Amino acid sequence: MKFIHAADLHLDSPFLGLQHLPNVLLTQVRESTFRAATRVFDRALAEKVDFVLLTGDLFDRAEQSVAAQAYLFKQFERLNDAHIPIFISFGNHDYLADQHQTVSYPENVTVFGAQVSTHTLTLTTGETVAISGFSYPQRWVATDQTGDFPARAATDWHIGMLHGAVNSGGEAHYAPFTVNELLEKRYDYWALGHIHQHQCLNQQPPVIYAGNTQGRSVKEAGDRGAYLVTSDGQTLRPTFFSTAEILWETCQLTLSETDTLTALSQQLVAWLSDHAAQRLTLTTVVIRLAQQLSDEDTAQLASGDWLTLWQRTQQRVMRAANRYIVAVVLNDQPVKIEAPQLDEQYWDQGAASVFTPTNLQSLFGKLAQEPALADWFVQQQTSDELERAARQQLARLMGEEDDHVS
Amino acid sequence: MYLKRLTIYGFGKFHDRTFSLTAGFNVMLGPNEAGKSTLTQFISAILFGFPTKKHPELRYEPLDGSRFGGEVVMTLAGTDYLVSRVDGPRGGKVTLHNCTLDLDLPAANLPRLLAPVDSQLFKNVYAITEPQLSTVFSASKQELIDRLRHVGAVGSDFWLQQAQRLDRSAEALYKPQGRKPQLNQLLQAHQELTAKLTKANATYETYWGLLKEQTEQRHQQAHLRQQLKVQREIASQYDQQLAMWPIFQQWQKLDAAMAPVPDGFQERDAATLERLENQVKATTAARQETQTQLAQLQEQAQLPPLFQQYLLVTAQVDPLLNQLPDITIAERERRRLQQDRQDLQQRATTLEQQYAVQGQMPRAFSLATTQRVQQLAAKLTLATQKRRRLQQSLNQLNEQYRQQQPGRQRQSNPLADKQIGWLAAGLVVLVGSMFLPATIFKLAGALLGVAVGYYGVFIVDSSTPASRQQQTLEDDIRDVQAQLREGSRTMDQLTSELDDIGDAHGLGNLPVEQWSAAQKAIVEWDRLTQRIEATTAQLTTVAQQVETFRAAVQAALPTLAGVDFSEVLTQLQALQNTQQKLQHQESDVAATATRLKREQTAVDQAQRAITTFLQTRNLRSATAFYQRYQQAREHENLTAQRTALAQQMGSQLAKLQQVTTHADLMSQATAATNQVVALQHQLDTVTARLATVAGQLEHLTASGTQATLRQRLANLEAQMQAVTQQWLVDRLVSQWIAATLAAASGDRLPQIVKTASQFYGKLTENRYTEIELTSTDLRVRRQDGDWRLVSQLSRGTAEQLDFAIKLAFAVVMAQQVAMPVVIDDGLVNFDAQRRQAAYRLLADISRHVQVILLTADAQVAAGLPTENLMNLTD
Repeated sequence: MKFIHAADLHLDSPFLGLQHLPNVLLTQVRESTFRAATRVFDRALAEKVDFVLLTGDLFDRAEQSVAAQAYLFKQFERLNDAHIPIFISFGNHDYLADQHQTVSYPENVTVFGAQVSTHTLTLTTGETVAISGFSYPQRWVATDQTGDFPARAATDWHIGMLHGAVNSGGEAHYAPFTVNELLEKRYDYWALGHIHQHQCLNQQPPVIYAGNTQGRSVKEAGDRGAYLVTSDGQTLRPTFFSTAEILWETCQLTLSETDTLTALSQQLVAWLSDHAAQRLTLTTVVIRLAQQLSDEDTAQLASGDWLTLWQRTQQRVMRAANRYIVAVVLNDQPVKIEAPQLDEQYWDQGAASVFTPTNLQSLFGKLAQEPALADWFVQQQTSDELERAARQQLARLMGEEDDHVS
Repeated sequence: MYLKRLTIYGFGKFHDRTFSLTAGFNVMLGPNEAGKSTLTQFISAILFGFPTKKHPELRYEPLDGSRFGGEVVMTLAGTDYLVSRVDGPRGGKVTLHNCTLDLDLPAANLPRLLAPVDSQLFKNVYAITEPQLSTVFSASKQELIDRLRHVGAVGSDFWLQQAQRLDRSAEALYKPQGRKPQLNQLLQAHQELTAKLTKANATYETYWGLLKEQTEQRHQQAHLRQQLKVQREIASQYDQQLAMWPIFQQWQKLDAAMAPVPDGFQERDAATLERLENQVKATTAARQETQTQLAQLQEQAQLPPLFQQYLLVTAQVDPLLNQLPDITIAERERRRLQQDRQDLQQRATTLEQQYAVQGQMPRAFSLATTQRVQQLAAKLTLATQKRRRLQQSLNQLNEQYRQQQPGRQRQSNPLADKQIGWLAAGLVVLVGSMFLPATIFKLAGALLGVAVGYYGVFIVDSSTPASRQQQTLEDDIRDVQAQLREGSRTMDQLTSELDDIGDAHGLGNLPVEQWSAAQKAIVEWDRLTQRIEATTAQLTTVAQQVETFRAAVQAALPTLAGVDFSEVLTQLQALQNTQQKLQHQESDVAATATRLKREQTAVDQAQRAITTFLQTRNLRSATAFYQRYQQAREHENLTAQRTALAQQMGSQLAKLQQVTTHADLMSQATAATNQVVALQHQLDTVTARLATVAGQLEHLTASGTQATLRQRLANLEAQMQAVTQQWLVDRLVSQWIAATLAAASGDRLPQIVKTASQFYGKLTENRYTEIELTSTDLRVRRQDGDWRLVSQLSRGTAEQLDFAIKLAFAVVMAQQVAMPVVIDDGLVNFDAQRRQAAYRLLADISRHVQVILLTADAQVAAGLPTENLMNLTD
């Protein structure tokens, strides 16, 4: 038996956190999710697999992407021509909503319903495979669904498909489960989806997150792909294969002799030519400088104007290195507020009164009405980042104050 | 800090004026228009800069054209500084001079020296003017806090500047009500982009709609194709029918043209008639020929005379003639028999003559007798032979003896003689045996002959020598003579036995050797005798037959009487021939006649058949038949033609037959064609629509508009987040600074409030005892304990409150900030009593803070040292 387990294709979903992108890249980025998914389907055809499992988040229903739907129809048809069945359990992004599904997918496609159900396949080898799973009926599934999964069937193989997150004890929206619960089912393979970082929760029987096929933000660095699973006697052996069209990477640079943006630019160019990538890599550069930049330079860097200009002028270099610098971040040392003329306790008092959720909320004010900002704002890391940035800024100001006083 | 000297180069109405001030309470007296406000403004302008030229009314440029500006000498922490400011860019050209050290300092140091007081704070707190006091109604804790913060900590001016800068920067990034700031613009762009995306997302619905439509249209297309195929079939049927309409019409016409043809005019009928007619013709011809033949035959009838007679007695002669062949044979037989009998009699006679004894033929031997005879004959022969041999031997012996007796002369050739003699004897015996009656005898004789020969040649030859030979010869001779005698006796015995047998059978005369032949002859004779008897009997019969016939012939034909029978036979034969010929001729004629008759019958039959044939068809003549036949043929042709047409039309015929009129068919065909056209049109529409849909789908799928917009939106959002973060950070840092400053200055607020309460009590002569700051407002407590909000106070009392707070602030903050309090007619709304209280208070605080009171109230001067009193109008 041989099958492919993929998840979180996130077809036609935009890349996040990119502020400026040249048109050339825009096209490549736009097509990347499709190309990555195509690699999955190509592999399925090349390997002549017995079936393909897609564990949710194939596309973002809210984005209403025509291209994603058209693409799926086309690819499913390809596999249909090759008589390769596809099993889909929709997740939180592509949750079941049948209002549009007036035109159904080709006959080789099986979409699990909102209740856990089991489909049994008989392969050409005569082996039988039971596949259990369910689709999200809406954006959230707050309860543990593993109880609804049936006991291991009397088939040669039994595979579970689950789009969800490991129960971490807190509030859960995504079909929380524990690895033990899964193992208790005694299935031969658990095809998980939802977490974008591919990982193995249990070696044997494999309990695996396929991860997404294409990273879409700087947080999704590293290779992305899917698993080709082949039977070996009584066990199943998953093999990861890469599908990502574009990679994300965050690189740390320590520059000692740099105190101007001009020098920084040169250093970056030099670094790029030394660190050419195999695949197009959207690179965030975190720079640690020995000396501080001037106020003006810092502001320019912070505003992103400098980077925009740099990106425009250094396109050739970036193309040659197969890297695109999406962000340049100054990695300042965590600062201790030391204002010589104001007692530290006053700063702490000030910080305590300023960095409160209430204050942040009131400061954020009307912006909360902007969903894009509100979503960003409510994240814990945002407030952390805000405080960090504020501290850095203050630290810079203190440096100035020192200069100023002296 | 206190101001030591004010030197005015030119400012407002003043020029080249110098005022020296003390560190304590200074009063500048002057009526209205004396320049009290100008002086206040002068201090502010020199220390903090000229207002911009946008507000010329605040600049107080000298009216007389003297040099704009002036200088101030101030004492700060024991050091005297000279600040001069003349007209120039950005608030005027400043010079700063450390008088104590006689050191020129950079102009930029001035704000630092004055910090944290800036023009704003100076204006708000230290320059107490009548309009300033009136703003007390808007006073609040926040305002107070801000002022406090402003001076709250050492170096706070820097932080306040930073906070301001951050605020400005933040404002450049975002203003909740703004339009221009970056984030506002981004939000605007976001809104627009979202709208665009929403619009683009509408294609999603369109897409599904199109997809659904595509599926439906495909079904419809398939359905229409099917229908079209069927309908085309129908239309083509109609077209075929239409195309065949002329043929159908022809077919119909033929149908109409065809009268029903009765039976009997078929080809076979014609053939029958033809045959009959030919028969008639042929038989008629035959009949004519036969008639000719008959005539010929009749002409040939010529008859001999005897036949004339015969014709008379035909009845009698005809049986005879019939017998004639038999009789002829019988006659011939008779003659042959006569011949045979003669022959046989002759042979019998010969035998009789040979063997008959006294006319009596010897009897034949019985079988036993024959054998006995043969036996005896054989024995006799043997005996004879033996005797002969013995005789010969004797002769020989005698000869030999003789020879031996006379010498040897005869011995020269004895052998030859003897041999020839033996050979001759053998030959004789051999030949003689041939005459023996029985074969066995002949054979025996022959053997004997050969034996004799042999003996003579080979045996006799072996004579022994003469000495012994003679003796032997004599013995032999005697022996042979004995044997001869013995042989003769045996022979006599045998001969007598044979003679007995011969006598018994009448063969007495015959030698025994002939007995065998005689016996044969006797048998032959017996057989001949029998045959003669048989032949004679036959002959008698035949002769009788012939005689009877002859008699009959003679009786019938007397002319033949006396004629030789063979001649009679010949005659009769001729007669028969004639008769037969006649008969033959007769039968020819008859046959011819019969044939004629038959032919006539045939002709008649044929004629009748023709007549019947025609009658059954109700016809008078064959010509009529042929006319009708021709018609039938034509009819057949038409039928064939019709059939061909029908075949041509095939299955359409049945359908065409259902069609009533051509017009109907036409309309049906047209309808069908129209239907086809309509369907085709529909199909074309559907196909076109499908192509359009496919195109649209292709376009929707390939446009990438959604994705591009979405990516742009994502990018924009990233940008927005970055800007928002920047904004938030700016604001937070600003807040943080403020909070820190507040914290740093926070502990002075209660002190200020307390001091203010004291001052307020003094100013109000203890009618109000306590001031309390709320978050939004100020309230005061009356002597009776009631609390009053600022808005509830009388104008004067409210101004007193503000005055008290400002003074308290100046006094309390004097530790950090030593700034002169400049009161510019600030007490005009106070009544005299309150004004006195205020003066007292001012005098009181001037111990801590330099007080410069500008007033038109001369009463104030009472009780003041003169050095502290200046008259502006001087």
